[in-house]
Amino acid sequence: MSVLRLISNRTSQQALSNSDYTWDYEYYEYGPVSFEGLKAHKYSIVIGFWVGLAVFVIFMFFVLTLLMKTGAPHQDNAERSEKRFRMNSFVADFGRPLESERVFSHQMAEESQSLFHFCINELDHMNKEKESQKGPSLESNTHFQEVPKSSGMFEEDLHCLSKFNIPNFVNTEQNSSLALDIER
Amino acid sequence: MNTERPSSLIRHPGQTSIPSLENISDFSLNITDCAQVVVPEEVFFTVAAAGILENLLILIAVVRNKNLHLPMYFFICSLAISDMLGSLYKTLENIFIILCKMGYLTRHGDFEKKLDDAMDSMFILSLLGSIFSLLAIAADRYITIFYALRYHNIMTLRRAVVILAIIWAFCAGSSIAIALFSYEAATVIPFTILFPLMMFFILCLYVHMFLLARSHARKIASLPSSTAHHRTNMKGAITLTIFLGVFLCCWAPFVLHILLARFCPHNPYCACYMSIFHVNGTLIMCNAIINPMIFAFRSPELRNTFKKMFYCSRSNCNW
Repeated sequence: MSVLRLISNRTSQQALSNSDYTWDYEYYEYGPVSFEGLKAHKYSIVIGFWVGLAVFVIFMFFVLTLLMKTGAPHQDNAERSEKRFRMNSFVADFGRPLESERVFSHQMAEESQSLFHFCINELDHMNKEKESQKGPSLESNTHFQEVPKSSGMFEEDLHCLSKFNIPNFVNTEQNSSLALDIER
Repeated sequence: MNTERPSSLIRHPGQTSIPSLENISDFSLNITDCAQVVVPEEVFFTVAAAGILENLLILIAVVRNKNLHLPMYFFICSLAISDMLGSLYKTLENIFIILCKMGYLTRHGDFEKKLDDAMDSMFILSLLGSIFSLLAIAADRYITIFYALRYHNIMTLRRAVVILAIIWAFCAGSSIAIALFSYEAATVIPFTILFPLMMFFILCLYVHMFLLARSHARKIASLPSSTAHHRTNMKGAITLTIFLGVFLCCWAPFVLHILLARFCPHNPYCACYMSIFHVNGTLIMCNAIINPMIFAFRSPELRNTFKKMFYCSRSNCNW
């Protein structure tokens, strides 16, 4: 960038005259930088910068750990029930899928569950016609955002699922990594 | 070994020992000056080539596998493209220098200066593209969590493509403007402010997501606290720290370099910092290698695609 280039007619002439013994400072027009009389170590900015960066990253890590330990801030009640259903995939990753499944099976109406399964079966049937791959991804919902295989399926899924407030179905299979779903 | 740097991005006031020794003896700078820290060309080329290849693999995998035609993977592809541009810039710059050394190109020609400008704007484009791609990935994940049932209506494939087009158009325009007007403080300051602002915003998005996950897990957990929760808390914090820490450590040195070059080029401390410019450049290329590991390779679908690509290269596998 020209902020670093700093080309000017005056200095390039001067630089050219110095070019006999060095090509390095061809565009060097600031003049010699005096290093005499330094109070601190000459690499103090370098050291200070890297130490500051390391301290900041470690500080950020501790803040994040603390935040996650003490829990979430207050959530709106209206959103709470809706969000609860969405977090099933996180629940699966947090290692207690069976309990959460039990919890949610208590909370949901039985008919909505059966409707959901019916919906899933319907979509599966449509999936089989369109693609060779099934939509078991609807059932294995740790990848729930990767579920639909084409954009045409999205609206169908949504239409089906929006009829009732149901969770994304919990995947009971234990994943090897505890990483959150959003990392995939 | 390679001390000739005609590229404007790395022309900077550096050491003064050699001319001053030749001219004036009373400077006596050979003891206290900062020598340019040189990274061998082989290391440069190896790191750059690794970055380009890795990101190219990701692009090929996403293009070939129809299952990966999702907004999430498009944003990951955008990040891969910006990483590739950064590594490509370094490679081209090194080739440019080698050509200058061999005498095929002059240092003062108009064509070389224009080429230099183009390469500088490519580099800025890479940085801006990286930042905005990370922002897009974080926003996409945020929408996935908080608007899960409506996600597929909100983030359609078409909208994702439009968003990416807008991001890249903005980045291209900004990079050209910054490369042309980089001597003004008015471009350097917004550029350096944008960097931490974006990082902070992305951090807030992710923290909010993790907090919701945490509260949800606590609600359904039978035990108030357990080692499992502790482990997953640590896992989340570690992931986020790695993700943002890597980006900061790789790009912040360069951003500071730009700031110092603009505002205190004559200061000896600043000059010493600017002498490690090549190390900063190598760090940026390392970021291109690490980013795919953090984002792309965590997806099982993408990993399976890679396996298929490598194992099916001999036999003709169907996609």
